[in-house]
Amino acid sequence: MKIERRELIAAGGLAAFAAGFSQTLGRMVANFTGPEDKKIAEGRHIHGRSAEPEFTVDPVTGEFTPNPNQQVSYTACLGCTTQCGVRVRVDKASGQVIRVVGNPYSPLSTEPHLPMKVSVKESLVAMSRFQDKGLAGRSTACGRGNAAMDQMNSPFRVLTPLKRVGPRNSGQWQPISFEQLVKEVVEGGDLFGEGHVDGLAALRDLETPIDPAAPELGKRVNQVGVLTSVNDGRENFSRRFWNQSFGTLNHVGHGSYCGGAYRSGSGALFGDLKKMPHAKPDLSNAEFVLFIGTAPGNAGNPFKIFGSKLAKGRAEGRLDYVVVDPVLNNSQNLAAADHGRWVPIRPGTDGALVMGMMRWMFDNDRVNAAYLAWPNLTAAEAAGEPSFTNAGWLVIVEDGHPRQGRFLRGSDIGMAVAADDRYKDADPYVIATAGGELIAAETATVPALLETSRVIEVGGKPVMVKTPFELLRESARRFELAEYSAACGIAEEIIIGLADEFTRHGRKASAVAHGGMMAGNGFNNAYAVVTLNALIGNLNWKGGFIINGGGFKDNGAGPRYDLETFPGQVKPAGTPIGRNVPYERSAEFKRRQAEGKPYPATDAWFPNAPGLGTEWFTGALRGYPYTLKALVLWSCNPLYGIPGIRPLIEDGLKDPKKLPLIIAVDPLINESNAFADYIVPDSIMYESWGFPAPWAGIPTKATTARWPVVEPKAATTADGQRIGMETFYIALAKAMNLPGFGPDAIADMDGKRYPLDRAEDWYLRGAANIAFAGKAPVGDATDEDMALTGVERIRPLMEATLKPEEWRKAAMIYTRGGRYQPAGEAQDAAHPEWQTNRFRKPLWVWNENIGTARNTMTGKRVSGCATWMPPSFFDGTPMRAVHTEADWPLQIVSYKSALQNSYSIATRITGLHPDNPVIVHPADAGRLGLATGDRARIRTPGGAAECTVIVHEGVMPGVMAIEHGYGHRELGARPHRIGDHTQPDRPDLRAGINLNDLGLTDPTRGDAVIWVDAVSGTAVRQGLPARLERV
Amino acid sequence: MNPNIVETLNVAREVAWLPWAVQYFFLIGLSYGAYLLSLPGIVFRRPGWTGISRLALLGALVCGLAAPVALLADLHQPGRFWHFYAWFTPSSWMSWGAFFIPVYLGGLLIYAWLAFRPELARHAESGGKLAGLASVLAYGGHESRGALKAAALLAFVGAALVALYTGAEVAVVRARPLWNTPLLPLQFFITAFAGAVGLALLFNRFSVRDEAANRRMAGVLAATQVLALAVGALWLALGVSGISPVHAQALAEVGPSANWQLSAAWAVAATVLTLVLAWKWPGSGLLIGLLALHSAWMMRWSIFIGGQEVPKTGAGYYTYSLPLGPEGLLGIVGTAGLWIFLFVLITTLLPLDRLAAGNTDKAAA
Amino acid sequence: MNKAFETPDSAAGAAPASASRRNFLRGVPMVTAAAAVAPLPAMASTGKQQWAMLIDVRKCIGCQACTVSCIQENAVPEGSFRTVVSTYSVKLTDSAQPAGTYVLPRLCNHCDNPPCIPVCPVSATYKREDGIVAVDGDRCVGCAYCVQACPYDARFINHETNKADKCTFCAHRVDAGLLPACVETCVGGARIFGDINDAEGELARRLREAQPQLKVLKPELETAPRVFYIGLDERFTGKVEGQGTLWKPRSLPHA
Ligand SMILES: Nc1nc2c(c(=O)[nH]1)N[C@H]1C(S)=C(S)[C@@H](COP(=O)(O)OP(=O)(O)OC[C@H]3O[C@@H](n4cnc5c(=O)[nH]c(N)nc54)[C@H](O)[C@@H]3O)O[C@H]1N2
Ligand SMILES: Nc1nc2c(c(=O)[nH]1)N[C@H]1C(S)=C(S)[C@@H](COP(=O)(O)OP(=O)(O)OC[C@H]3O[C@@H](n4cnc5c(=O)[nH]c(N)nc54)[C@H](O)[C@@H]3O)O[C@H]1N2
Ligand code: SF4
Ligand code: SF4
Ligand code: SF4
Ligand code: SF4
Ligand code: SF4
Ligand SMILES: [Mo]
Repeated sequence: MKIERRELIAAGGLAAFAAGFSQTLGRMVANFTGPEDKKIAEGRHIHGRSAEPEFTVDPVTGEFTPNPNQQVSYTACLGCTTQCGVRVRVDKASGQVIRVVGNPYSPLSTEPHLPMKVSVKESLVAMSRFQDKGLAGRSTACGRGNAAMDQMNSPFRVLTPLKRVGPRNSGQWQPISFEQLVKEVVEGGDLFGEGHVDGLAALRDLETPIDPAAPELGKRVNQVGVLTSVNDGRENFSRRFWNQSFGTLNHVGHGSYCGGAYRSGSGALFGDLKKMPHAKPDLSNAEFVLFIGTAPGNAGNPFKIFGSKLAKGRAEGRLDYVVVDPVLNNSQNLAAADHGRWVPIRPGTDGALVMGMMRWMFDNDRVNAAYLAWPNLTAAEAAGEPSFTNAGWLVIVEDGHPRQGRFLRGSDIGMAVAADDRYKDADPYVIATAGGELIAAETATVPALLETSRVIEVGGKPVMVKTPFELLRESARRFELAEYSAACGIAEEIIIGLADEFTRHGRKASAVAHGGMMAGNGFNNAYAVVTLNALIGNLNWKGGFIINGGGFKDNGAGPRYDLETFPGQVKPAGTPIGRNVPYERSAEFKRRQAEGKPYPATDAWFPNAPGLGTEWFTGALRGYPYTLKALVLWSCNPLYGIPGIRPLIEDGLKDPKKLPLIIAVDPLINESNAFADYIVPDSIMYESWGFPAPWAGIPTKATTARWPVVEPKAATTADGQRIGMETFYIALAKAMNLPGFGPDAIADMDGKRYPLDRAEDWYLRGAANIAFAGKAPVGDATDEDMALTGVERIRPLMEATLKPEEWRKAAMIYTRGGRYQPAGEAQDAAHPEWQTNRFRKPLWVWNENIGTARNTMTGKRVSGCATWMPPSFFDGTPMRAVHTEADWPLQIVSYKSALQNSYSIATRITGLHPDNPVIVHPADAGRLGLATGDRARIRTPGGAAECTVIVHEGVMPGVMAIEHGYGHRELGARPHRIGDHTQPDRPDLRAGINLNDLGLTDPTRGDAVIWVDAVSGTAVRQGLPARLERV
Repeated sequence: MNPNIVETLNVAREVAWLPWAVQYFFLIGLSYGAYLLSLPGIVFRRPGWTGISRLALLGALVCGLAAPVALLADLHQPGRFWHFYAWFTPSSWMSWGAFFIPVYLGGLLIYAWLAFRPELARHAESGGKLAGLASVLAYGGHESRGALKAAALLAFVGAALVALYTGAEVAVVRARPLWNTPLLPLQFFITAFAGAVGLALLFNRFSVRDEAANRRMAGVLAATQVLALAVGALWLALGVSGISPVHAQALAEVGPSANWQLSAAWAVAATVLTLVLAWKWPGSGLLIGLLALHSAWMMRWSIFIGGQEVPKTGAGYYTYSLPLGPEGLLGIVGTAGLWIFLFVLITTLLPLDRLAAGNTDKAAA
Repeated sequence: MNKAFETPDSAAGAAPASASRRNFLRGVPMVTAAAAVAPLPAMASTGKQQWAMLIDVRKCIGCQACTVSCIQENAVPEGSFRTVVSTYSVKLTDSAQPAGTYVLPRLCNHCDNPPCIPVCPVSATYKREDGIVAVDGDRCVGCAYCVQACPYDARFINHETNKADKCTFCAHRVDAGLLPACVETCVGGARIFGDINDAEGELARRLREAQPQLKVLKPELETAPRVFYIGLDERFTGKVEGQGTLWKPRSLPHA
């Protein structure tokens, strides 16, 4: 008995021992059986599992020896919308990408970038230790770029076409063949056992009006809408299909929830509210830059090269800059503190700061009036100015005048203008000269008189006119400096200091904004910020405000192939679903006008905005202006990215009766396409073709070439093609017999026709166009170039698709990862202080389109020049009048993660920075007794969310800052069931919170839509009223 | 803490010496402590000590055999333990330790065998399942005092070296101010010895319940606790006064940590409690025995694990949470299991009650 | 008319920037100046290459390209790091700016007097002739003594290899005539790598230029680091006094 108990205890002890030491034992065994780590070099085995070097360069002679096991290809990164040119290192045996670095030919990655004629081999030697070349010519990829490629091997990738099982968003899918997919979406039918669904063939109705009573809406084909993200170099292909071939008008990107407010403000100054040109500081040469609501080195576009340039400028001591931001971020660096400063600001009050600066500048003669007075480019250039403004053109300001807010035209004062040309381009703008004459602005050789308020006779009636210069000054003087200071929370002396500093650097200063403008007055704030630049005349100056160099066109009408037009193409027409056209041209307006009450309209219209993704969903689901019958979501994620949208549309999206067909084209399942009926796998990162161009900030012409540097992973069609966006659209076109695709779809310059059956048919010809664009074509790629970069793999394709004189030049584009104008050409040879690629049109200090548009709910006009207005709802009611500070004492803002992008969840980044604790100021945290690491709940009028807080001084008191890129519900955060396979459950991918779950609705629009800026229609994510609660 | 600096992004370093290391240092300490406790009765034949010393020797043996296994497990390449002998590195205390451990264990085994030979022979005589084995192991069963003393001397040298190296190995790590104090080896030693007394108290309680021995050990334990408190006070005084920069640094580093404050308070409380109990109620053998063992273990846990919770460069402290697997809880349980197994194995041949004999008449039972 | 805007060649005639800076923001204090300046190791006598790194903190933008590229290049397991850029929000008490960001790239210092080497019980960790401190993976027993002894938290046990791991200065790349991964992809251009003994080289040149501002981490330990810093703030040379990070290892089972 006793013995037995002892034995039992001994056995128990032994068992515990065995369990505890099993791993030890396993490791002992593994010492003998485990795989040998590969050996990279002779001698002691010190490299662990490091990768083999991609090539070897003799440090003395520079002799180059490639590693036959690896390929080094130049293409573009898709880690964020910057889309840098990168160098991708691929393990040939496994097809896995080992690592990415920068492409030294690309100005998005390198400064100065290498000329195209440098051979690939030399470009690689230039990255090595040989003569320390790699340090001087450093070409980089950022942390996110390095990490983003993990998506390629993500267990959450969609690799075959999926069809939903059960209701929408239930997370259950059935893999289907490509052929079934095409048949079902084209032909429609009772696809889900929920009743008949119209297929795309039926929806392509180019004849029947959507509403016979409102012909301006266009034909029913417009009821198919395509929403996409940033142009990753493939948008032209998508537009060719949807706009030109299928015929719908509705194809829009993410601009209205990206930094659209800034772009609109910039568009107002640059005189184009649809394309919205914008400039950036010439960080390579600037002396002083004011970043207001954009965070260089933390985010921004271009993120990476701006980060490099900022670092260089501040360390050299050449560059001083100030970041005006409610949040401290990586754009500030204490070690370089004297050169880069942070000025905290209250959200949505940048207009107050900037108008305060302007007031001081006007009052202290710090406005460059001499520059502003030049009324056209010729006169300006003659005076040594590379740009000009309309600050001296006369504006009709007479109250009640039918043309109030418009520029005075030659025809108004009796200049001879053909009746048909009246108020059109041929009808000149007018300036007053020092001598008191009124002359045409375009042909003047003398400066305009800026201070010239006067009453003139127009059509026999006295009419008050003023210059934009005066109007802006009046606008600036509407408030005292102290009032501006009280509004934005920045001390008067700092406002003065900023204005003083800004005007001390001649043309080597500039002011720029972006995401920080996404407030309830974003357009006004942004217009104000960009107008600062006009006041110092820095546009087109080296070191000043510079316009993008532009790209080399792939889909032009030549020089080798016409990829722009094709026989039978449709010209889409009608009212876009986002209502970004004048309400005054609608049938509704006419009806209401006839009823004597033209305003308010049913809802908001945005005549001065570009396509508005923000208004799409609520518009389509409510049928205003009309419903959508089919929605295509191509690599975009509005449900994650638009503040406040989800609760408004979730039920509608789930309801096939409201939106009968949703097709997603995407390599991943995200928060938005989780609602789709079908998901079509798309290529990802380094698998795709395309020709992206830099967004902004690159003074030289640049087009990056994307090509499948690794074999795409998606399944293939029956005839062996990889499924992707292009394959899908080609198949749709063929199934519906649409023009522009299939045999004879593409013509060369001699009219000879070629097929468009595969993605390559398009992109390779695009590459030929790029290669031959400009004064002279690029040179030929050598065999060695192709061998080193892996372009060899697509050589047969190029030879088969292109002409003998073309293919090596196209190969040149691919071996260099794009086509790039030489770095030395950034400045004009004849005027070394001027940029080569200049913006040549006037800057609109007064924008008559803005100044004459009416708010569709109130019928009121807004200011046509920069002005200060507090954040407001659509009808002008200040946000704080509805959501008072007493109820909502705090405000939340969003700032981009320096490391993570919303595009994907890069797990190597979350491994380093797992979630996004909300920054709370110690004063605010103190009141609630919250400390770093505590859990708390944020509540806004739009929702509530639980978060972790981090308490420090890096935020404006009264503001809570939420880093964007976390708080996902999809992209791996929820396991989907695909066929009989369930995706892995990864709680870490759900970490953190998303500000957009807290977004607001607009009470002045019946709380039926999200809060957008009244002019630009852009989503409001900055300055949301909020409170914080302990949990 | 300086609230002016908030670390917004950094990573934590994992604990690299796992609970295995705690187990090793605990067991090897108990072993050499118990070995020392075995000397008065067995080698010096002090009256009234025989039982104590024989129980202690059993403890030294069980702990001494279990300890190196825990050490092995703390190596991430246990199969390469022979590298220690192939590449002796005189600059490393750990390398020396690899040689000291066999010296100590060798000496201890011979010493214990010589000490227990007569007992084994007695076991063989009294019959039973394992009589045969006992007979073989007894190998005649003679008492050989000369050899015993020689073996004890060897074990003593080994024990001293082990005590030295285990203390020094940790104390030389400048990178960890908490470890890098000259008092640390002494603190290790005192708590180890106290723990050993505690173990013997436990053995006594579960065998013959010899009250005299119990009181004697309580006295010794009280003395160790006074010493421990004195050294602790010295540590604190050196740290607070700043006379000794290394102590001041150690204190500065861990002082602000709430975890550390808790374990320091805990340690002091446990020591004072042990002292008071041992002094006022020497009969509470089981309780003070357990307390002494607990203090010895806690001391090592907070030095090793707590010490590794202090970032060497980053701000604040890491928080260690005990994993359930072999690298954590299972490892602790595993060593305990091994200890129990060895204990049962040895006491099957050398029953606890018989070892405790010599002080009371119950012993022969 | 304001002088600042005269065109075109007089654009340079603007008022000196520094005069006005005080007007709107008292200069944010730069890093504390009192810190001990790191002596440049004089080792040109060996004639052999001596690798070292210079980190110009002013240029670091905290993008972690170095961190991630190092992980990829060297297959560093999840949760472990050979390099990382610690980032801090620092309250400023003596300036109009309430707080600032401080970033600090950290990696193995390849010390000339490395505490990690003497403790290794099997001489697995050693210093190569070119100054690189390396771990011989064939010999390492994974005892982690070196991990304890490194004062910079530069080492860790690699759970995939079960050996000590740390930055190797990418010796495999350096030996192949390439740059370390983190240097090659440093977006801010903050990391400079090279041979101290190559007087003409970029590294030596920059070290000479920066000599008065050069600092190293924990100089009091006399480890003689081979990683030098420009812009190293005194408060960050040792263990940082402050609120620690919220980072916790992700609870994924070890492979
Ligand atoms: N609160 C808050 N909201 C924001 C922002 C913010 O800062 N704060 N930022 C705004 C901004 S600036 C923008 S631009 C928008 C962005 O919002 P969107 O442009 O709508 O979408 P993304 O989130 O960038 O994701 C696009 C989708 O593309 C897919 N995808 C990922 N990688 C690839 C790939 O390699 N190839 C293809 N074909 N598809 C891929 C994924 O499904 C991913 O979800 O979000 C906006 N929303
Ligand atoms: N690291 C990183 N870089 C990126 C991206 C990314 O996801 N991560 N995405 C890319 C994309 S799509 C874009 S559009 C760009 C955007 O680049 P940015 O415009 O630079 O980034 P955002 O974070 O959107 O906004 C900039 C700053 O505005 C601040 N802000 C918020 N409210 C206000 C306000 O009312 N006033 C002022 N003055 N500032 C305010 C925020 O705190 C934030 O720091 O970045 C691109 N680059
Ligand atoms: S900035 Fe964006 S595109 Fe460029 S490397 Fe980083 S993630 Fe990639
Ligand atoms: S930093 Fe640490 S690991 Fe690197 S050489 Fe110095 S002591 Fe050794
Ligand atoms: S872990 Fe390896 S390198 Fe480090 S001390 Fe132990 S044996 Fe040496
Ligand atoms: S030198 Fe290599 S190993 Fe060291 S931190 Fe840089 S990338 Fe990592
Ligand atoms: S890559 Fe360079 S700039 Fe980016 S965090 Fe690392 S050291 Fe700093
Ligand atoms: Mo964006």
